[in-house]
Amino acid sequence: MHSPETCHVQNAPLRPLLVKELWEILSGRALWTMLLLMCPLLGYSFLQATSLYGEASVAGLRSPVLASSLSPLDGVLVPTLGASYVAVTLLFPFVAIRVLGLEKESGALRLLVQLPYRPPALIAAKLAAVLAALVLSCIPAVSALVIWGMQGGHLSAPETLNLLFGHLLYGLLVGAIALFAASVSESAATAAIVTLAFTIGSWVLDFTVAGQPGFLAWIARLSLTQILRTFEQGLLSAGLVLGIGAAMFGFAALANVWLPPGVQVRDKVMRSIAWVVIVALVLGLATQIKLTFDVTEDRRNSFPAADQHLLASLAQPLVVTVNLAPEDPRYADLQRNVLAKLERAMPDVSIRLASGRQSQAATAGEDRYGEVEYAYGARSDVSRSTSPREILPMLYGLAGVSPPAPAPGSDYLGYPLVAGRGVALLWFFAGLPLCIALAWRWNRRLPKSITAES
Amino acid sequence: MDGVLPIAAASAFRQARDPVLLRVDSITKQYADQAVLSDVAFDIQAGEILGIIGPNGAGKTTLLEALAGVLPAEANDVRWRGERLPASRRHEAMFYLPDGVRPFLDQPVTRVLSFIGGVYRRSTGEIEDAIKSVGLTPVLHKRVHSLSKGYGRRLMLALGLLTPHPLLLMDEPFDGFDLRQIRMIVDVLRREASEGRTLALAIHQLPDAERVCDRFVLLADGRVRGVGTLNDLRARTGISEGSLEDIFLALT
Repeated sequence: MHSPETCHVQNAPLRPLLVKELWEILSGRALWTMLLLMCPLLGYSFLQATSLYGEASVAGLRSPVLASSLSPLDGVLVPTLGASYVAVTLLFPFVAIRVLGLEKESGALRLLVQLPYRPPALIAAKLAAVLAALVLSCIPAVSALVIWGMQGGHLSAPETLNLLFGHLLYGLLVGAIALFAASVSESAATAAIVTLAFTIGSWVLDFTVAGQPGFLAWIARLSLTQILRTFEQGLLSAGLVLGIGAAMFGFAALANVWLPPGVQVRDKVMRSIAWVVIVALVLGLATQIKLTFDVTEDRRNSFPAADQHLLASLAQPLVVTVNLAPEDPRYADLQRNVLAKLERAMPDVSIRLASGRQSQAATAGEDRYGEVEYAYGARSDVSRSTSPREILPMLYGLAGVSPPAPAPGSDYLGYPLVAGRGVALLWFFAGLPLCIALAWRWNRRLPKSITAES
Repeated sequence: MDGVLPIAAASAFRQARDPVLLRVDSITKQYADQAVLSDVAFDIQAGEILGIIGPNGAGKTTLLEALAGVLPAEANDVRWRGERLPASRRHEAMFYLPDGVRPFLDQPVTRVLSFIGGVYRRSTGEIEDAIKSVGLTPVLHKRVHSLSKGYGRRLMLALGLLTPHPLLLMDEPFDGFDLRQIRMIVDVLRREASEGRTLALAIHQLPDAERVCDRFVLLADGRVRGVGTLNDLRARTGISEGSLEDIFLALT
């Protein structure tokens, strides 16, 4: 059985490794503690959100105009899943670090790297376990959506799935960072500090330098928190998904580089630099991808369908020159109401800030400050408006086409709802914690017999 | 990868004639400016139990870890059946059982054994045989973190028995066992060797080493001070009836 010629142990079945990684993450207290903590956190957010939504709905039920502004995406989904974001930011790193950190601490990693799996297979199995933990951590959020639905609340499948997808990507990115941190750290505690430096650092970055001009604005965009904004706005951006995927892959690749204990540090550093360069190139490519889908039911990120159709047929380049400082609130309005929609609707749009990245104080005194110039083909016009109701007719005039007739029956009517609190209160503060505790106990049961897991 | 071993590629003819399974040409390891291993070189012959002997701090663990490819070293030149075996591929030829490791702490013993058995496609019967041979049955349903030191060792040994590698490296395999238990483990190791497996054991208790090993590598201060059977070493030191302890003291 052990003769020197019989050692062909290069390819082993993946199933035992996957099963082992799943058991490892399910056996730890970290995951179940996080789930238990998420119950009141998410429950409180859901109750607050439905309460505020209910108060707004009282007026909305009397006035169709007010009702049209009531979207469950903004009113219920985003704030409820916001609690999930907090849990993933602060607690999930401790769960994800477990999959590698404990093995490093206990020395079991030295056994693991001798098994007939290549390091990428080991990292992939650990990421699969992180994904499984993440899916489990979605249970409180999904149960909130189910309760909302049972109470008569409306859920639009595309925008709900898009938001859940965004949170899943964010969680996976945090998991990949945690895995990388565990691979470079000698202890789980150090890995936790490194991961929290990323997640909480992003959070801090987000509210301290966001909205600032120049270099600070660029720094703010590096925040992990920014990832969710696009999904919360009801947008599915191919470039963003590629960027998150590349970042996840990058951290997983770095974890793969730093996992084997038998490699010299200088070799690991050289390989890491190569991966960082590759991922930076892919991230650069991702920023150039403009393909974005508006998945909201109220089409808030798009012009009316007839306008979208007509704008898509305007083939010449549109150049927009904005005489506003980046931190000017009018620029934010213009960007949200007009420019971002134009970029998605028209085939060739270029937008430039006349002041470059100078601050408002430096540019506000100029005569043309506030003007926005639209140049289509050989014709151009200037406007100070940030409303599509003024800009679109002007653009049609520049292009020499007639404005489309508004399509009847396409208005968003809104979904006002005054929901009760009893069911949610009982579920999040009693039912769900009890279910999680029972599942934890069931999971701790010991196997009855030996079976080869191949 | 030309010139580098595929393990199975070594010809059966040469294997049958050459008793040397693994040749350590040179292993050198430094921490900062301090040399822990200095140009260590020795052979391991097929089917033998080789004892790497030395006091605490001699470099035994470092040597086994560098040999197994789980610790980087400044020089790490090893040949398997005459072919160069890079550190990144050592796990294809040998399996290293470290000292003081409790693998997968939160898992019950059965699950850890099932995992390793599954990785190497062992049958349930083979896993049960490994359990019986090291006496793990009483703690099968305990979690690894709750095992005593002795049972932790037995678990590691059972894992080693489930691996199919021709060469098994073990760091302090008798640490934590009483006399009876050591005898039982010696029997297990002898049985493995008799089935064609080669064992290299790092041991600091010289009487234990003398009881189980066929040949010895005497290590002190990171240098090899002697290699051979007990009789070889007696002849070299001129201590005709001396124990391994006497010889070690004479050579170091």
